[in-house]
Amino acid sequence: MKIQAKPLPPVQLPELRQVGKPVRRVDAMGKAVGTTRYAADMFMPNMLHTKVFRSRVPFARIRHLDVSKAASLPGVVCVLTAADLPTSVLVTDMPGQTGQQRRKGSDAHVLASDVVRFVGDPIALVAAETLAIAEQALELIEIDYEELPAVFDPLEAMKPGAPVIAAPDNIVARWKMRKGCTKTGMEAADLIVENTFNVPFVDHAYLEPEAGLAWLDDRDVLNIRVCTQVVEHFRSIALALGIPHNKLHIQGTMVGGGFGGKEDITVEIFIGLLALKTRRPVLMEYTREESIQAHSKRHPFVITHRTGVTYDGRITAAEIKMVANSGAYVYLSPYVLLYATGAATGPYRIDNVLIESVAVATNNPFTSAFRGFGVPQAAAAHEQQMDEIAKRLNMDPYELRVKNFLKTGDYSANQKITTAAWLEETASRVVEALGDKTPAQGPIKVGQGFASYMQSYGRITWFHDTSQAWVGLEMDGTVVVRSGIPDLGAGQISAVCQIASEVLGVPMENVVVYNTDSALTPLSGTTTATRQLYMSGNAVYMAANTVRGVLLDRASKHFEEPVENLDIANSCVFVKSESDQWISLPELAAKCAAEGMHLANLALFKAPFTSPIDPETGQGQIWPDFTFGAHGVEVAVDTETGEITLLKSVACHDVGRAVNPAAVEGQIEGGAVQGLGYALMEDVIVENGIIKTPSLSEYLIPTAVDVPKTKVIILESGTGLGPFGAKGIGEPSLTPAAPAVANAVANAIGARIYSLPLTPEKVLEAVARAKDPQDNATQ
Amino acid sequence: MEMKLITLKVNGRKHQLALPPNITLLRVLREHLNYVDVKNGCEKGDCGACTVLVNGKAVNSCLMLAWQADGADILTDTGLGTSQNPHPIQSAFAEAGAAQCGYCTPGMIMAAKALLDVNPHPNEAVIREAISGNLCRCTGYGQIVRAIQMAADRMEAEKAAPGGEA
Amino acid sequence: MLAEFDLLMPATLDEALSALAENGPGTALLAGGTNLVVDMRSGRHRPRVVINLDRLEELRGIRCQDGYVTIGSGVTVGELLENRDIHQYAHALCQSALLFANPLIRNRATVGGNLADASPAADTVPPLMIMDGEVQLASRDGGFHWVPLDSFITGVRKTIRRPDEVITSIRFPVPPAGSDTAYYKLGLRKADAISVVSAAVRIDRTEDGTVGRVRIALGSVAPRPMRAYAGEQALLGKRLDPESIGEAARLASEAVSPISDLRGSANYRRQMACVLVSRLLHQISSRTAGQPNEE
Repeated sequence: MKIQAKPLPPVQLPELRQVGKPVRRVDAMGKAVGTTRYAADMFMPNMLHTKVFRSRVPFARIRHLDVSKAASLPGVVCVLTAADLPTSVLVTDMPGQTGQQRRKGSDAHVLASDVVRFVGDPIALVAAETLAIAEQALELIEIDYEELPAVFDPLEAMKPGAPVIAAPDNIVARWKMRKGCTKTGMEAADLIVENTFNVPFVDHAYLEPEAGLAWLDDRDVLNIRVCTQVVEHFRSIALALGIPHNKLHIQGTMVGGGFGGKEDITVEIFIGLLALKTRRPVLMEYTREESIQAHSKRHPFVITHRTGVTYDGRITAAEIKMVANSGAYVYLSPYVLLYATGAATGPYRIDNVLIESVAVATNNPFTSAFRGFGVPQAAAAHEQQMDEIAKRLNMDPYELRVKNFLKTGDYSANQKITTAAWLEETASRVVEALGDKTPAQGPIKVGQGFASYMQSYGRITWFHDTSQAWVGLEMDGTVVVRSGIPDLGAGQISAVCQIASEVLGVPMENVVVYNTDSALTPLSGTTTATRQLYMSGNAVYMAANTVRGVLLDRASKHFEEPVENLDIANSCVFVKSESDQWISLPELAAKCAAEGMHLANLALFKAPFTSPIDPETGQGQIWPDFTFGAHGVEVAVDTETGEITLLKSVACHDVGRAVNPAAVEGQIEGGAVQGLGYALMEDVIVENGIIKTPSLSEYLIPTAVDVPKTKVIILESGTGLGPFGAKGIGEPSLTPAAPAVANAVANAIGARIYSLPLTPEKVLEAVARAKDPQDNATQ
Repeated sequence: MEMKLITLKVNGRKHQLALPPNITLLRVLREHLNYVDVKNGCEKGDCGACTVLVNGKAVNSCLMLAWQADGADILTDTGLGTSQNPHPIQSAFAEAGAAQCGYCTPGMIMAAKALLDVNPHPNEAVIREAISGNLCRCTGYGQIVRAIQMAADRMEAEKAAPGGEA
Repeated sequence: MLAEFDLLMPATLDEALSALAENGPGTALLAGGTNLVVDMRSGRHRPRVVINLDRLEELRGIRCQDGYVTIGSGVTVGELLENRDIHQYAHALCQSALLFANPLIRNRATVGGNLADASPAADTVPPLMIMDGEVQLASRDGGFHWVPLDSFITGVRKTIRRPDEVITSIRFPVPPAGSDTAYYKLGLRKADAISVVSAAVRIDRTEDGTVGRVRIALGSVAPRPMRAYAGEQALLGKRLDPESIGEAARLASEAVSPISDLRGSANYRRQMACVLVSRLLHQISSRTAGQPNEE
């Protein structure tokens, strides 16, 4: 049956001057001509080079550590161990960002003093005159480990008697969501389908390895120039350094890719300690291998779905169990787990739900935030489960979804959907755009598949998230925006510039954003959780509107016209009905200044503030809102070699309002390719705690020839909570891509692969299963 | 180790410096000559962030010893153009949204330059092949391909225009 | 950072050979650096002395004369792709070059370097083996001599090259008209991937349409790139048809001794040896016009 795009409800989006236009981003030219300076691109005279000495074993007690030979190597200026630190507390929970109490047991160490829990756990720091000397010094550090029995499988780590990495039982987080009665729901089902899905460790693989420069200035303020997603970490960094908050100055650089991997503290405390000790500037640059070893990974999950469904395709009950691998330290595992739990059922209306999830510590690399934050893992399972159900019912996968899609006003697993939920609209467009299947040829089988999703934007509402921004008009009519917003490359700064430009009627070239500075710009919160356009966009919108109000008020007196008859464009305030009645902004600003009127505003935007959910049922609001969409692919599968070729890729998302459509398209295609990589080739292989894919020739991400152009279809419902009705798209774009590929491959070969990535070997094994009907039952 | 006086002509400017053997062109460009537009993404030839043109050929500068580049003509992204006077490839990248985080961008642009120098009319498949050694984690490559196509069109138009190179 | 070493920059091959003879074992030869610089950075190789070969004109150039195509060891993989004789006479080598790493690496990696590195996955080797390639070695005291490529690589990253020898050329006889080659590289990604299995096949047909000469070479399925001799024998004198092809492929896969590693299991590699050989033979079989269709 041919699926056609579902007609959209009529949406009247106001025509704007800057917003909604695919403008060139303000940072684009600097990046294109190579003048943008990243964290490793700034040097200072008298600068020292630094290295971190890290554990080579996954779980051990440090019996003996001797850094004396390293410290006395000529050219080595300083070697630090845990014994030298004011406090070796590394805050991994989020209080520095939200002012709330950090979770008990969530602190890690800056440098290990007693126990190391993963290969790569930091133990000592070296600062030397040259990088070569610093590297030599590492070789001279003597260490004696008492290796402890380690555990790497979360299912093993949960068993009584397992080695304890996180007291008392390795379970670092647990969530439950329950509504209705699944027992009754299952009884009402005609068919119960059960499947288990596995997803691996994934690396962020941003092109820019972690780096930072730290120096003390003449007033003993410690400056740290670093690539980070979170300026607010300065509180936790100051704690670890033993200095007051106001004597730490974080200058965030343009980040060469974050995706959640630079959401935790990385090099800051290390270089801060060394700068304080040596009183010289210090530079730290991770090598690629060190980056892969030292920063977080995406949580592997084992997700079991048990779904009750009627023959006509209505889901009556869903029981889902999730086990996440938290690795050696907690970091953001509790929250990743919560997001995964909330997304476990997918964008479907199910009245009887029981979701139980657990995050377990192991002696693996620690896991934390990665674009999607648990939802891509959940979607990899729920979207494959939907296709499996459709197969068992002999129903078209699209039809099955349409019967169960959430609508505005329905409840997800935990909360009410209050904005547009264009699930049918996006899925139908994706399926329609895939078109007719490319014909199969010989051993090459062709399949199509798609996946739908819902993904939150904005942070957990009981964090009471806020963002601040300052907007001011200069006397010459140019505009200054000050925002702490870290820019990871998605155009965060440019979006804010565009919004100020729109509201104040000033061309974008006349707006400069001063950004990402803990001391000099208002704190805007983290660049995470797809929240910046929503939060900082609104904060800038508020501040700009206040300034606009002052201008129009004064202009109203000048023209003797009510404010509603006035507008600002091209840096002039004018009377709408009479184009020759206008005054330039500099002229108007002069009048305002002379009368002591304030032409700047510091605004604070608040997300909805709620209380934590009921721990027994998980019911209640957790997120401000959701983005909905779909991704579809067509694949060619070589059933003799197992190779998969992507033939077509289509994405359709309702972004609410596309502030910069070119940037939105870029985010959608970029996120999609990360998801395609997740499906096809990305796997941080860890054996006995050792990463077997230490560099980018073993850890594979897609090259330009691995993916086709993704056709991007942007829908705008205008119902988002962000400025101009925008939703968020940074994370959502990734979420549906991997399950779309898995569904397409299953469609091609007639059997499913239950773990990512879909390697050629797994494909062949599935092809063999497809040939044997006995073997091809669900697991 | 012996120090040797090496001559590197970078972006049209001649540099002479005494260097040991065990240093790569990448490190010399960045740390001795301050061409920090040349990026270090992996330092082993896997990512292409360090791509420069050496005597017209696009290479990973992390895999070339500086002494091997003695006397060579080296071109980096900042040598192609400036924000006031950008090269068509640079302005195409800026306009097409081809730079998101921008870290792969200088290397990507150099690979694109090498391509357009020998093939002024590349189709999408040829473009993707030419940049297959330059990893990008942000864009998914679509807008990069479009930027290179735009640049090719503009460079052709410039050549054909009166006063152009033709 | 790279450990310390002495770097010699000879201007001629003679200078290079003298330097190599004088400095003895522990001397590394540097051309494109795509393997050596990586290995020096990781500490896998810590040579005291490195001799740079990338300025030596004697190692450049591809010539077609006296019945041979001769490739200087300093020729880059990218230059292979630009050469008309390679396109005409060694199609499999061209295809392999196209899939070799990525264009940036191809601008530096040399054919000699790929051979000297002698990885079990060395991509240029199977395509050169099927051409009956030979490797020329030179030393200050031993002059020049040729060795068959088939015996040049002796084990994982081991060759018969003596420490005082430099690979100077690679050559293969110009194939007769009607000689047909095919190549396939299986990787986990479509560019910039280390071979999981690679295969190169060559068939020279006689006038009556039977197989006159056959070569089957496989990469990444044994400690070194290998010829599947039993598979080749099974095709000699026969016509290419599903039966003979199936037998050859089966024998080829029986001859491999792959390992399991993070890129693939031994079992998969063995299976793929069979699949790829079969596929390439079928490709050649259906490619030649006038070949009686035996189905």
